[in-house]
Amino acid sequence: MEQPKKVADRYLKQEVLGQGTYGVVFKATDTKTGETVAIKKIRLGKHKEGVNVTALREIKMLKELKHPHIILLIDAFPHKENLHLVFEFMETDLEGVIRDSNVLLSPADIKSYLLMTLKGLAYCHEKWVLHRDMKPNNLLIGPDGQLKLADFGLARIFGTPDRKFTHQVFARWYRAPELLFGAKQYGAAVDVWAAGCVFAELLLRRPFLQGNSDIDQLSKIFAAFGTPKADQWPDMKKLPDYVEYQFVPAPSLRSLFPSVSEDALDLLSKMFTYDPKARLSVKQALEHRYFTSAPSPTDPARLPKPLRKQETKASYGKHEAIKVVSPPRKIRRVMPERGRVDGMKSHVDKDQQAPMSLDFTVLAERPPNRPTITSADRSHLKRKLDLDF
Amino acid sequence: MAANFWESSQYKQLLDQEEVDVVQPLDKERGISVEDFKLIKFHMSNHIMKLAQHIKVRQRVVATAITYMRRVYTKKSMVEFEPRLVAIACLYLASKAEESIVQARNLVFYSKRLYPDDYKYELKDILGMEMRVLEALDYYLVVFHPYRSLSDFLQDAALNDVNMNQFTWGIVNDTYKMDLILVHPPYRIALACIYIASVQREKDITAWLQDLNEDMNLVKNIAMEILDFYENYRTITDEKVSSAFSKLALKP
Repeated sequence: MEQPKKVADRYLKQEVLGQGTYGVVFKATDTKTGETVAIKKIRLGKHKEGVNVTALREIKMLKELKHPHIILLIDAFPHKENLHLVFEFMETDLEGVIRDSNVLLSPADIKSYLLMTLKGLAYCHEKWVLHRDMKPNNLLIGPDGQLKLADFGLARIFGTPDRKFTHQVFARWYRAPELLFGAKQYGAAVDVWAAGCVFAELLLRRPFLQGNSDIDQLSKIFAAFGTPKADQWPDMKKLPDYVEYQFVPAPSLRSLFPSVSEDALDLLSKMFTYDPKARLSVKQALEHRYFTSAPSPTDPARLPKPLRKQETKASYGKHEAIKVVSPPRKIRRVMPERGRVDGMKSHVDKDQQAPMSLDFTVLAERPPNRPTITSADRSHLKRKLDLDF
Repeated sequence: MAANFWESSQYKQLLDQEEVDVVQPLDKERGISVEDFKLIKFHMSNHIMKLAQHIKVRQRVVATAITYMRRVYTKKSMVEFEPRLVAIACLYLASKAEESIVQARNLVFYSKRLYPDDYKYELKDILGMEMRVLEALDYYLVVFHPYRSLSDFLQDAALNDVNMNQFTWGIVNDTYKMDLILVHPPYRIALACIYIASVQREKDITAWLQDLNEDMNLVKNIAMEILDFYENYRTITDEKVSSAFSKLALKP
């Protein structure tokens, strides 16, 4: 066993939590505060490009963003030519919660998770920051149950006129239709769509719209909400990659979410408005009656959590047949797309999906295989990999 | 935008002029006066602008780079942070932070071309300094500039003809040869520049300015500072710059 090493005279290094392309993430104790922290060590790319741009983007954003629902960047320092970022330690993430079939999520629990997600996002938008990578495994959950937005490696400051953005953002399943049609100028509404996907995923306990290509993603969206008509979304046809889709009428949203409350359904439909200009803002979403009607959101400290790593292992022995609940957190977190995670789970998992209330006959096909990584995604993934921790 | 600025790290970091004008002890030992200090920063700002012209980056990147450079010297000495290396590292860092990244080796290439005789830094020096600059900046990288408010204001004041736009934009560019960005909110600098331009071009915008709900004395003070700078500008000679650098035992 290695003796614990003190980094920068302050941090006591503990076990490695995960390995990303640009370096390791390890657990440590901050001797100044006694708190547990996660330190992301960013290797400098062989003296060619200096500090990694994605890492720099994350530092730049997090230095400006201080909020109870945004991951806290505690410190940054160079050490032995590597840049180290010190974050508050988070126990798990929302994906871990959603995937764990031992976790029972009540409507009040779901409301609490969504509330915290939207509060963090509202703060970003107030500060003119687009997150651009909202998805369950970027929503981390602390030991106190507080949910925090993390991974700002794709975030951008918006509000600058005529600034052209890339539409290759977000993991595909969370990408808004305007992005899939190649929009270069877009705004906060893209984060709202993604938050809507997270909401749906909390309700369904599985990703809502699982396209395996950009084209397929749009057809999944249209199958769920109907092909948009011009009066629903006037600017649609002007988008760079617009292609006409066969008209499909919208099934009733109720048929996709049979067991949720009227208020939840109403909020969901408004977050999934096609026209980004008409889509609900985060602020409006927070004012929606869903958040004031019964049941009131669960106190974060009392939210159900996935079993801890050791406990998971322990339960393994007892219930051989039960699927892997979730891979050790850090391994999962360095995998950007769930498609990759599959290989790591036991094969039992595949057939034994999380309970779902979505009736797929409505979508006229079985859930697709997890998407493989397309070449279009590869650069996106590479960028993402540096930042996951 | 403004609401944004008031919550930014930049707003919290604004300094008084007296704080900006503090010469670091190590530099003082070499005999650097406040005047020398300003001259060197002025020279390095020009240097960054020149280099940026060659590698063709947006003005925003230049402005951010110069802001970084000026912030570094509110905390670090020129003896330890060699100005030319700092300038290049700041430009490199700014290009990343402003999302219009330039290749570090292009920076080396153009620096060598600009100064064929005595340019002595290589890629690894720039990357090493990038890290030191980042640390000196305490990792605060978001910088607000007057440009954004400038176009909004000009439009609002109905002064947005091409001529007026270019003229005011030019004045704003010149403010980076001074420390204004470390001391004042960017929108106020923009107003001061518009004020100067309107006076120069004999356009009366008094009524518009009065409607702004802004303390016009503050704006006028900045405008005066800018005009003073233009006045002094004429007295800056190569000899003065060289003499300041020679105290640091460096060539400009």
